[in-house]
Amino acid sequence: MGSSSSRLDRVPGAKDLMEETGFSETNILCLYDRFEVLDREERGYLRLEDFEAIQQLAVNPIGDRIIGAFVFPGRETLDFPSFVRVLAHFRPTDTTWSRSGSQPEPANSRTRKLRFAFSLYDQDGDGKISRAELTEMLQAMLGMQVTDEQLQSIVGRAIQEADLDRDGAISFDEFKKSVEKVDIDHKMSTRFLR
Amino acid sequence: MNKLKCLEKSKCNFTNILLVLNALSLGCWCVLLLLFVSVASAGRDVDSGSNDTGRNPAPEDSHHQTNSTHHKKAFPVLSFNFDHVRKPFEISLWILLALLMKLGFHIIPRVSHVVPESCLLIVVGLLVGGIIKAFDEDAPVQMLDSKFFFLYLLPPIILDAGYFLPMRPFTENLGTILVFAVVGTLWNAFFIGLTMYGVCQIEAVKLGRVDLLSCLLFGSIVSAVDPVAVLAVFEEIHINELLHILVFGESLLNDAVTVVLYHLFTEFSHKGTVTVADAFLGVVSFFVVSLGGILIGAIYGIIGAFTSRFTSHSRVIEPLFVFLYSYMAYLSAEVFHLSGIMSLIACGVVMRPYVEANISHKSYTTIKYFLKMWSSVSETLIFIFLGVSTVAQPHPWNWTFVVVTVVVCFVSRVLGVVSLTYIINKFRIVKLTKKDQFIVAYGGLRGAIAFSLGFLLPDNEMKQLFLTAIITVIFYTVFVQGMTIRPLVELLAVKKKKESKGSINEEIHTQFLDHLLTGIEDICGHYGHHHWKDKLNRFNKAYVKKWLITGERSTEPQLISFYNKMEMKQAMMLVESGSAAKLPTIMTPVSMQNIQPKEPLKRRAIPSISKSREQEIRKMLRGNLQKTRQRLRSYSRHDLMVDPFEEDVSEVRLRKQRVEMERRVSSNSAANKQSQPWISKQQLGKDNNIP
Repeated sequence: MGSSSSRLDRVPGAKDLMEETGFSETNILCLYDRFEVLDREERGYLRLEDFEAIQQLAVNPIGDRIIGAFVFPGRETLDFPSFVRVLAHFRPTDTTWSRSGSQPEPANSRTRKLRFAFSLYDQDGDGKISRAELTEMLQAMLGMQVTDEQLQSIVGRAIQEADLDRDGAISFDEFKKSVEKVDIDHKMSTRFLR
Repeated sequence: MNKLKCLEKSKCNFTNILLVLNALSLGCWCVLLLLFVSVASAGRDVDSGSNDTGRNPAPEDSHHQTNSTHHKKAFPVLSFNFDHVRKPFEISLWILLALLMKLGFHIIPRVSHVVPESCLLIVVGLLVGGIIKAFDEDAPVQMLDSKFFFLYLLPPIILDAGYFLPMRPFTENLGTILVFAVVGTLWNAFFIGLTMYGVCQIEAVKLGRVDLLSCLLFGSIVSAVDPVAVLAVFEEIHINELLHILVFGESLLNDAVTVVLYHLFTEFSHKGTVTVADAFLGVVSFFVVSLGGILIGAIYGIIGAFTSRFTSHSRVIEPLFVFLYSYMAYLSAEVFHLSGIMSLIACGVVMRPYVEANISHKSYTTIKYFLKMWSSVSETLIFIFLGVSTVAQPHPWNWTFVVVTVVVCFVSRVLGVVSLTYIINKFRIVKLTKKDQFIVAYGGLRGAIAFSLGFLLPDNEMKQLFLTAIITVIFYTVFVQGMTIRPLVELLAVKKKKESKGSINEEIHTQFLDHLLTGIEDICGHYGHHHWKDKLNRFNKAYVKKWLITGERSTEPQLISFYNKMEMKQAMMLVESGSAAKLPTIMTPVSMQNIQPKEPLKRRAIPSISKSREQEIRKMLRGNLQKTRQRLRSYSRHDLMVDPFEEDVSEVRLRKQRVEMERRVSSNSAANKQSQPWISKQQLGKDNNIP
């Protein structure tokens, strides 16, 4: 198809991205279109303000954390390949990939998805969700409708349930265990990215 | 030790045998009574005014009347007037028989493990029907009267299913369910109808009189998957949630299609000719029937939720509102020939979140248990009557027609499921595997709805043949497929239902993931599943909850309600466990004084609490609960006993108690054990001071 390959040429490094993340051509093109829409000033990269301009994200309780996952605090800009790499986590899981294969673990495997979610909880990056971090997250989700005592008791209960080695914080493995009954493959995939 | 075990085991066996004998004998007594009743009704010439000493009609007495104490003009001390109570008596007897059978099955574990309960019940029905028939050829055997079935037996089951429908998997798979229900049923109906018409055209079958419309009507009746049968069988095999909701949801939602097709074809066969306009109207009527049914259900649901907002002073009648509004929704939909089942489900689904936030804990339990009880009884009765009605009918048997029907049903189901899954999988995130497809196809059981619809067919020459075929299909699916599905599930190693205890972590993370996905979808600019769900939630929170939920609960986030429920459950478990069971280990002192005043008393244990302290706490808990109950001054039939979880009076005391507990915890950390008895005395002393 002549037209689509020429369109694909617009996207820098499209072929590599497709291989790395497993997105199809249509997906990459869709994502690039979206990238261009978000990038109002056509700078070729996204900044914090572009994300904050998305209205629904402002209303989202964890909107700022999500933005933080895209645009790391250290860096100021987000180029297209990084944009795609983060979104690659939300592709529906491939059933054909097996752990023993020689390829590196794809972004949309269950463990990688969970790592991404974990990183949103664990803001200071120490590999554990501390009590304070969990409290912050709950505070964000529940807003003004909860009293401090309620919050504390919920957090206490949550940590009590999940914390198996009794260190007062939730490590990645404990996190994984506590959501083992949740269908992550379903809950962390969006149909747009297939 | 071994001897003791042997002795116990033989005692156990003995008790079991006793129980079985008891159940069986009671069951036999019931059957004999039923026999008598039907015989008596056949021979109505019995002089009901004569002096008969037996008010308890044992079967032997029915054949000879005792003529002692025979004064013609004296005042009749004992008289026998059975017609007066005939109808309720019969109904009660049938229900009693059904329940005794249900009891009996569970005592014989080996049988109930292999054969699903529904099969056993049908067999019992066959036996009873056979006995009654054998006794007297002309006895009007109680049949599965269609009106009785649709108005009284079916609604409880559907309401139970709809009220407790797990919303999350249902909405996540709604597209798939709808495709299976609508397209699948249509495909089944037309395939079966057309094939049977083709078969009837064959000279050898001698059924040339059957016209196309009758065949299509037959196809539409026999094509629908039956919720009662699916529930009965799937409940016992504990299959994973996805498959359960797929088959079950399909069986519920295909009612609209069945209703439309049935009325359509009945009308057409009256009219004789079909025009394109009629076909178009048929399509329109499908939308009207389904959406209209849902609308009626939703309206009644909202009214019900609104009513429950004001019931805080008359808690006793709360469950009735739920039942009556739902039943009214069903009946209203039936008035307009809309889909009653969908209306009932919509009512339950809409009403539930708001009603549960408003009603008391006791009412919630009442609703749950009444619904389960009614649906259980209904289901049992349906299967028994199915068996009885089979025997009661004359059955013109045409080998070709019946066998071909059964085969065609199975084939069309498999074809339908496979081809639809192929299309659906293109749109699903989590694809359906071959195993899933097989279970969905195999789980397409037909049941009593098909039979009742067939019963309602206009009386023509084909009706009996159709009924025979329908019954055969039902028996085949319930017996063969119902019995073999369990070993097949084991064989194919299909995922079973995960027993989850409801952890707060899962709830938190699920909500977190919801928000995350909504955010991602917004970034992608894609209005997906999460986006709309989020919008609905916002709308719900902003506008609807204010109207339908009383007081402070209306602003309570879902997470808090979930947490409160969990805490309440744990508190109740703690209080109920009298023995020194293990208490939850870690704790935070802050959680003592946590939840809103309305919430029930929470109890938290302390790490490595001493045994005496443990017992003290427990004694205190028990004592306080008992004290609340003793506080009643007068007894009135319309007031519930003071609920320790709800009374305002105890709140103040509970609060103080909590503060005391917390003080005790902090004193515990200083390992100050001497203050212990003092505090407890002070605690109890405080209690006595409150009026």
